[in-house]
Amino acid sequence: MRPEIVLHSLGYLLQAAGVTIALSVAGIALGFAIGALVCAARLSPRQALARCGAFYVSFFRGVPLLVQLLFIYYFLAKYGLDVPALVAAIGGLGLSSGAYQAEILRGALNAVPAGQSEAAVALGFSGLDIWRRILMPQALRISTPPLINEFILLLKASSLVSVVGIAELTRVSMNIASMTYRPFEAYLAGGLIYLLINLCLAAFGLFAERRLATGRAS
Amino acid sequence: MSEMMIEIRGVCKSFGRLQVLRDVDLTVERSQVVCLIGPSGSGKSTLLRCVNFLETYDSGEILIGGKLIGYRDDPGGRRPMASGELRGMRREIGMVFQHFNLWPHMSALQNVAEPLLRVRGLTASAADERARAVLKRVGLADKAASYPGRLSGGQQQRVAIARALAMQPRLMLFDEPTSALDPELVGEVLEVMRSLAAEGMTMLIVTHEMGFAAHVADRIAFIDAGRIIEKGPPRQVFHESAEPRVRQFLQTYHDRNSF
Amino acid sequence: MSFEVLWRYAPALVGGFGVTVLCWSLGAVIGLTFGLAIALLGRLELAPLRWLLRACVETIRGTPFLVQLFLLYAGGPFIGLKLSATAAGILGLGAYSSAYFSEIFRAGFASVPEGQSEAAISVGMRPVDIFWRIRLPIALVATLPAIVNMLVILSKETVVLSIITVPELMYQMQTMAAETFTAFDAIFAMAIFYWLLVEAVSRLGRRLEARLTAFMSGEARPA
Repeated sequence: MRPEIVLHSLGYLLQAAGVTIALSVAGIALGFAIGALVCAARLSPRQALARCGAFYVSFFRGVPLLVQLLFIYYFLAKYGLDVPALVAAIGGLGLSSGAYQAEILRGALNAVPAGQSEAAVALGFSGLDIWRRILMPQALRISTPPLINEFILLLKASSLVSVVGIAELTRVSMNIASMTYRPFEAYLAGGLIYLLINLCLAAFGLFAERRLATGRAS
Repeated sequence: MSEMMIEIRGVCKSFGRLQVLRDVDLTVERSQVVCLIGPSGSGKSTLLRCVNFLETYDSGEILIGGKLIGYRDDPGGRRPMASGELRGMRREIGMVFQHFNLWPHMSALQNVAEPLLRVRGLTASAADERARAVLKRVGLADKAASYPGRLSGGQQQRVAIARALAMQPRLMLFDEPTSALDPELVGEVLEVMRSLAAEGMTMLIVTHEMGFAAHVADRIAFIDAGRIIEKGPPRQVFHESAEPRVRQFLQTYHDRNSF
Repeated sequence: MSFEVLWRYAPALVGGFGVTVLCWSLGAVIGLTFGLAIALLGRLELAPLRWLLRACVETIRGTPFLVQLFLLYAGGPFIGLKLSATAAGILGLGAYSSAYFSEIFRAGFASVPEGQSEAAISVGMRPVDIFWRIRLPIALVATLPAIVNMLVILSKETVVLSIITVPELMYQMQTMAAETFTAFDAIFAMAIFYWLLVEAVSRLGRRLEARLTAFMSGEARPA
């Protein structure tokens, strides 16, 4: 094993790690927006809307991410839309993550005990206030740990974006591997950087979970 | 002089800094029914669980049929009992839990037969025969093939009693056997326990069922904050006790249970 | 994309699907076996062993599957591991899923109510019997939904194998697409196919779970 070869490319790897993180942050943000909309659709009393929401979740969780990404790529190519690869990648990650986040939010809303809204209704709260002051704050608190987990998953999934040529961590590891003819060290380095990022995220997740739990009765 | 089935002498136990049993003395003779009563947190369940060594005890002695359980007192000091020996002693002690603890992936019959197969080493047909007989004894012959999920609480507890009984133990321990049951189901379980007592089974029962204790127990022991502060025949404990804590406890019980 | 094209490539596509199923099933078997082994080993009171297992599991769960595949396939020869693409794919799926399965089994064991074991202890059962007859069956039933879920996830991960040229369905589809210039249609068909497949498998899984729960709360068949 010759680690010095990889140390030489450390700069590129760290830069690529930055791209991966930025990509993931954009993806999770887009996913949250989409997820919130899809969740609202699923919970809507309008049958057609609810079914659209359910279909979205079923489709974007059922189709593998790689297929989704390539689908977007070829779709854009076929219709001659000149969208930068980065935007397409973020879009793909966001659409996919949106389906999972919709389910997380739906689960969180269901987890808020029904008695709380009932008490609010009995006290005369308006529907909007119940939503704003009772349901949403609690749902957000409950959904924070699974959302952090989803971010970790998205970060790992972003490695697939390498197939459309974006210079994120996996792609750069591939480049280093082919340039130095030392694939083992190159991928090991890339993997370790992913691991490091994820360990930090996991630690943050534990911290957030503890912080959120202290507000409640034991 | 009848044989002492359970002798508890000077038993102390602490959970960390909290002392839950303080110098407890209690005996149960053969074919006697002794009920342990007292407020929650008094240590009665802990004491019961020490008898079959589900919980360790820090000092004192617990003798089952004259033999020390859980430890060996050698000249060099006290050492833990060998696990094989402990298992052998546990075979002779039946235990019934508050939450039944039936194994959910086995039918009632299988629940009763499993210990017979694994511990008593019976053949499949012998185990089956005995299991069915005991289930009949507790009135659940027709539920042999049912899984615990399909049985009511009272039925589950009776299966649990059958499971312990099938092992032909020398004595039986009951840890609040009816506390987790709906009121209408309590009767069927108490009835089985009553008939066991009538047959001469040695029983140590932790219970809140004062009526049962008054009528079926030979002796009652009242435990409070880890100490037994009153013991004797039901009449003595329920009606003639001079201990203020006992009177207070019974008064609260009366207030909440008469209407 | 005409039917003619599909018909011409049908053998390759069916073959590709066969490879997909092969990789998925072998990967699943390896993953379940090693996952259970890791969970069981973790129950021994050996701190260094648990630490080592924990490190392996967290490493696999903390890195992308694609990077693990590259490491095995492209990097393997440099540490004496010369694998064909398919072998690397199967091994990769096996290693990846074993980390997740080990966590599922670990949680399953932890979820067995203490009272079930206490009942067995109080009747004098040996520890080995308590484990095999009581704890393990109950834990396995508890983990069934999570296991089915992971198997579905694993089936989706098989498409990543195409990147290291494993000749599974996705790879065959892309070959066909490249040769006939039908990239978009091909990928569209893939999307629909996988969506239907995953839906079907998920539903099957749910029915199996329902059957098992009904079994545990119903009547046993006569002995």
